[in-house]
Amino acid sequence: MVIGGGIAGIQAALDLADKGIIVHVVEKTPSIGGRMAQLDKTFPTNDCSICILAPKMADCFSHPNTNVITYAEVVGVEGKAGAFKVKVLKKSRYVDESKCTGCGECLEKCPVKVPSEFEMGLGVRKAIYMPMMQSVPRVMTIDKEHCLMTLKGKCGNCKKACKREAIDYEMKDQVLEVEVGAIIVATGYDVWDPTTSTEYGYGRYPNVFTAMEYERMINAAGPTHGHIERRSDKKRPQKMAFIQCVGSRNPQVGHPYCCAVCCMHSTKEAMLAREHHDDMESSVFYKDMRACAKGFWEYVERAKRDYAVRYVNSDATVQENPENHNPIVVYDVGGRQQSEEFDMVVLASTLIPRKDTIELAKILGLKLDQFGFLESTDRILENGRTVVPGVYLAGYCGGPADIPESVAQGSSAAAKAVETLVQAGV
Amino acid sequence: MAEKKAAANEKPRIGVFVCHCGSNIGGFVDVPSVAEYAKTLPDVVYSTDNLYTCAEDGLASIREGIRKHDLNRVIVASCTPRTHAPLFQATCESAGLNKYMFTFVNIREHCSWVHMKEKDKASKKAKDLIRMGVARARLLEPQEEAKVEVTPASVVVGGGVSGMTAALSMADMGFPVHLVERDGELGGFIRNLNNLYVTEKSASETIKPLIEKVKAHKNIHLHLNSQLKGVEGFIGNYEVVIGTKGAEDLKAKVGTIVIATGALEFVPEGLYGYNQYPNVVTLTEFEILCKKKTLPKLKNVAFIQCVGSRGQVKSYCSRICCNVAIKNAINIVDNYENMLGLMEKSGTVVEKIPVETKATDEIMERRRRRRGRERGEEGEAEEVKLGPSEKIEVTVFNRDVMAYGVEHELTYNKAREKRVKFVRYTTDHLPKVYMEGNQLMIAYFHETLKLERTMPVDMVVLSTPLVGQPDAGELSQMLKVPLGQEGFFLEAHVKLRPVDFATDGIYVCGTCRGPADITECATQASAAASRAAIPMAKGYVQAEALTSVVDETKCSGCGTCIQVCPYGALRKNEKGYAEVIVAACKGCGCCGATCPEGAITMTNYTDAQLLAESRAALEEV
Amino acid sequence: MAEAQHAISEAKHDEKAGSWEPKIVGFLCNWCSYAGADLCGVSRYQYPTNIRTVRVMCSTRISPHIVLDLFKAGADGILLGGCHIGDCHYISGNFYTEKRVRLMKKLLEDAGVDPSRLRLEWVSASEGEKFSKVVTEFTDHVRKLGPSAVKKQEAAKAKVMAADDASVTFRLRALVGKEYNLETKGNVYKNTLDKAELEKLIDVATMDEFERSLILVLAKGKSRSVKELGSIMEVPTDKVLRHIVVLRQKNLISMEHPEGFTPTYRTIEIGGEQ
Repeated sequence: MVIGGGIAGIQAALDLADKGIIVHVVEKTPSIGGRMAQLDKTFPTNDCSICILAPKMADCFSHPNTNVITYAEVVGVEGKAGAFKVKVLKKSRYVDESKCTGCGECLEKCPVKVPSEFEMGLGVRKAIYMPMMQSVPRVMTIDKEHCLMTLKGKCGNCKKACKREAIDYEMKDQVLEVEVGAIIVATGYDVWDPTTSTEYGYGRYPNVFTAMEYERMINAAGPTHGHIERRSDKKRPQKMAFIQCVGSRNPQVGHPYCCAVCCMHSTKEAMLAREHHDDMESSVFYKDMRACAKGFWEYVERAKRDYAVRYVNSDATVQENPENHNPIVVYDVGGRQQSEEFDMVVLASTLIPRKDTIELAKILGLKLDQFGFLESTDRILENGRTVVPGVYLAGYCGGPADIPESVAQGSSAAAKAVETLVQAGV
Repeated sequence: MAEKKAAANEKPRIGVFVCHCGSNIGGFVDVPSVAEYAKTLPDVVYSTDNLYTCAEDGLASIREGIRKHDLNRVIVASCTPRTHAPLFQATCESAGLNKYMFTFVNIREHCSWVHMKEKDKASKKAKDLIRMGVARARLLEPQEEAKVEVTPASVVVGGGVSGMTAALSMADMGFPVHLVERDGELGGFIRNLNNLYVTEKSASETIKPLIEKVKAHKNIHLHLNSQLKGVEGFIGNYEVVIGTKGAEDLKAKVGTIVIATGALEFVPEGLYGYNQYPNVVTLTEFEILCKKKTLPKLKNVAFIQCVGSRGQVKSYCSRICCNVAIKNAINIVDNYENMLGLMEKSGTVVEKIPVETKATDEIMERRRRRRGRERGEEGEAEEVKLGPSEKIEVTVFNRDVMAYGVEHELTYNKAREKRVKFVRYTTDHLPKVYMEGNQLMIAYFHETLKLERTMPVDMVVLSTPLVGQPDAGELSQMLKVPLGQEGFFLEAHVKLRPVDFATDGIYVCGTCRGPADITECATQASAAASRAAIPMAKGYVQAEALTSVVDETKCSGCGTCIQVCPYGALRKNEKGYAEVIVAACKGCGCCGATCPEGAITMTNYTDAQLLAESRAALEEV
Repeated sequence: MAEAQHAISEAKHDEKAGSWEPKIVGFLCNWCSYAGADLCGVSRYQYPTNIRTVRVMCSTRISPHIVLDLFKAGADGILLGGCHIGDCHYISGNFYTEKRVRLMKKLLEDAGVDPSRLRLEWVSASEGEKFSKVVTEFTDHVRKLGPSAVKKQEAAKAKVMAADDASVTFRLRALVGKEYNLETKGNVYKNTLDKAELEKLIDVATMDEFERSLILVLAKGKSRSVKELGSIMEVPTDKVLRHIVVLRQKNLISMEHPEGFTPTYRTIEIGGEQ
């Protein structure tokens, strides 16, 4: 079983399925794809993220050896390596997966608008929805927290609109029991909410965004159709600031670690701004430019050379010009304080363990490290092996990792799982 | 699939699916008009555009198109066949269409992305490319694929941590593995090192259990003092020649190959007084001194980072050297006495360093921390842990400290707490190492204070990048796998296929694919093992139907084709005509272009198809 | 047919507007140059829109006939992309490509086409930027050379047709097919041949085959005298006559000799025209 249908989980599942092993993939949200599906492009090639991911998502879903259970959570585990019994709570989506074709007729009729989680709240979705256009499986889900029918028993528009009679307001949550030989945990990360850290003004100043919001904004399929817009006046910014290490490398907010990806994603985002509009000017405020994997430093050099991205080695805080809502970045050079007005600020907000990791760790019997990441027994040679034999980690849930590392960890966890199955004689 | 076998003889019914790829194509090419245009082309009976043809709904539209319009040929105009062809081919197959009836037209990498400022011309080009695709599609024929058995055994080249981990993982999965190591013992680069991360255990103790497991494993055949001398064959059916010093060459049949040949440190010849002053050493040399406990007496040690990397000599950042330098800095601050050659172990002296000598840096450091808080609330003053001895002072000259992730960043913080000084330099002001009388000196520019400074040092440690093995090129040629410009092996895809090669059956892990720390090497190694285990566990691979075909009515038996084939995939049959050995043929087409009688052609790349496709490019619309 | 009519009207239109754009076809090998072109796209290096690429597994797949046929059809430029020497995915494919390109260029030269309209470039999978530079530079070069004469002049077209015909003759294909091995591995007697000498031999053979093919093209459907052929081809009549003797032996040309007139020759046509 693989818990988590992001890139690490998908890779682990495909590696196992390709070896002829039956894999159950349990995904909490209505679609697999995870965080990578939310990104616009990927560094250092500026490959379109969903373009390279979508084939893998489709593969993972339609592979003869996989059983993808979306909108579901693991609620209990018994047994040991080679013979686990896993209880999976499959939440009711009030839509029959076998009937829904994802045609979208119901969407037009649904009267309820909810901020979209997938769009980081920048866009709206309906109470019946698919997180994204490339959702896998391609079926609708009703959000019972907002649906008028489930809340008040009034409306029923979607049921009327659905020609395939896929809507079922009576659908109940189900608990499935699945027997598996090994478990791979690949639950990924949450983005830290910088509202609590007042020096960046996020939440108070409208034109301060998080990087994940910005990723959705520059995505052609995103809430603004790829237009970069200020929250205050919907105008396109021209002078952008990217602030690094927001909430990370910062013991005061409890995240002393480095999130290992934001130097690169901010560089990418600055480059993409310029790619969208020739006159974009971006400045990146950083502590250390950690561009330290294959081709990364060259990528930063390219950003400087070809995309006129300016790098400023300094901590930075944000204030606002109240007249035009322009954020003002306060930083220092050689010990002297400087301030500079920008049109938009993008915060490289740190990535933290998912908040339900503690719960999952309890269910599985796993240990957490001091920051809440799932802990490996031996960080040197056995990264991804946990205190529970037969349970392995892949991706960001075990600590900071970028996409290729997560993919490698996915494959690596699959190898460890197969070793276990072989030893257990399964 | 059988019902569509006759497709070749039917009149072509072509469906064209043009992809917007979000705005990747749609933003630079007028996709709807391109899809409209496709409808006007001969034998095209259906054409549409998708936002993402590769997404589930796009694939569904292909399947539906095949059923609804009885398509016997499908064209997708989107991205590159090098990544997406298998997906669309599988989609065609799932709808009952032979996958060789599929044609890929690349209007993204070869059009929208390279003509981003000329929408009209790019749209015209996209139409031309589709017209070419249609011309090709009309002549396609269904093909059958040969199933090739896979020998469930592997060879791993390199006996370092990566190679051992990969071998052990595959062995644990039940596959026999040949582990080939050039040296007389296992361990690789790690054998140079003192310790790993900041651990008590020595590096050799850490990897000892791994070495023991490898040596004892019944599925691992260890070949020390050995090298891979030759490789023949293809996925599932390689015959490798392992040459061992003082022994006869061994031939082994394997199904997969894992490359884990590691890397070497860059030698900073002519940089910072290396080879000129006795106490200027590389980071690895310093580790060796520590490990062998032969460190000279030191008071001042300076590490210079990025020597020969990040744009100086080598373009890349070597990822690990900052963290290795920090580890060594902590080691000598904490444990200096243990590494000395002559000096007796003296009791640890805990004594506070006089604050005034460090004032400026301390204050600067505090200021930096304080600014982060900004709000009036100060919080408790941080407890500063002092190093056990003031006798040794360590300075790390760096450009950026690459202490990424959790472990490295915490170690970096620890080093700062132990008063290891981190001084930033830029490429505009490189530090200089020189002698003043008998004293080794460093001159540097303090970037924060904007001041030129000098300091006496007893030893300078140069952190140089990892570089590819000098003979990686030979291996690359032998196996036909690409080596990047920097001398590291090039994986199939930087994001999603980190340990695969484009060539099936060969995998890569560890520092031979780029600098990585031991954790990452071990992870990549078991990842490579997982990938290699796929065809071995399955037991077969499907060979693509891309081979030469001899027309015996034209063949004169001259034998020229046999001479030019690099794979020995052609022979004369009993009638004296040329004959193709399908399993050995890789489909390059050399014989076809050579055959003096024009008797040889390639399945799926016939002369007629190539000419139709390219001639269509010259037509005017 | 409809396509041809389109072509004519479009060509006129182009001339009127004076907006001639070079038509360039690129054959790229799957493993290096196509991948390099992909990387070029991924990296967003821009280049002119003129090139239309065709993917082949290896540059060695491209026989001289394919290239010459395209020039015959009016291509203004052709780019062949392969792996760097030594990096060929198929071990030695590009060695043969190199030899064949030499022949193609020789034939183009003989046919009066600037051989620089054909370019062979090695572009690796990691050379995205190089690909854009190569295409930009080559497009500019072809633009400077102007439109291919084949589209407008019958004589020019006849010569390219002859070059194409020559390229498929057994003699040239066999010679060029064996050239690399003769140079490196030697003949049946294990004698390797000197590169320069071998090239000279092939050049002479190429010229011969081209001229013979040209005679066949010119005398197709129209009887011509040796003198006439010589003056059109700008070849001495004794050489033309020698070629005709060979062609008659191969039964490719027939002689018509009405009394009192100079003998004329006509190409023997087998089957209909393609």
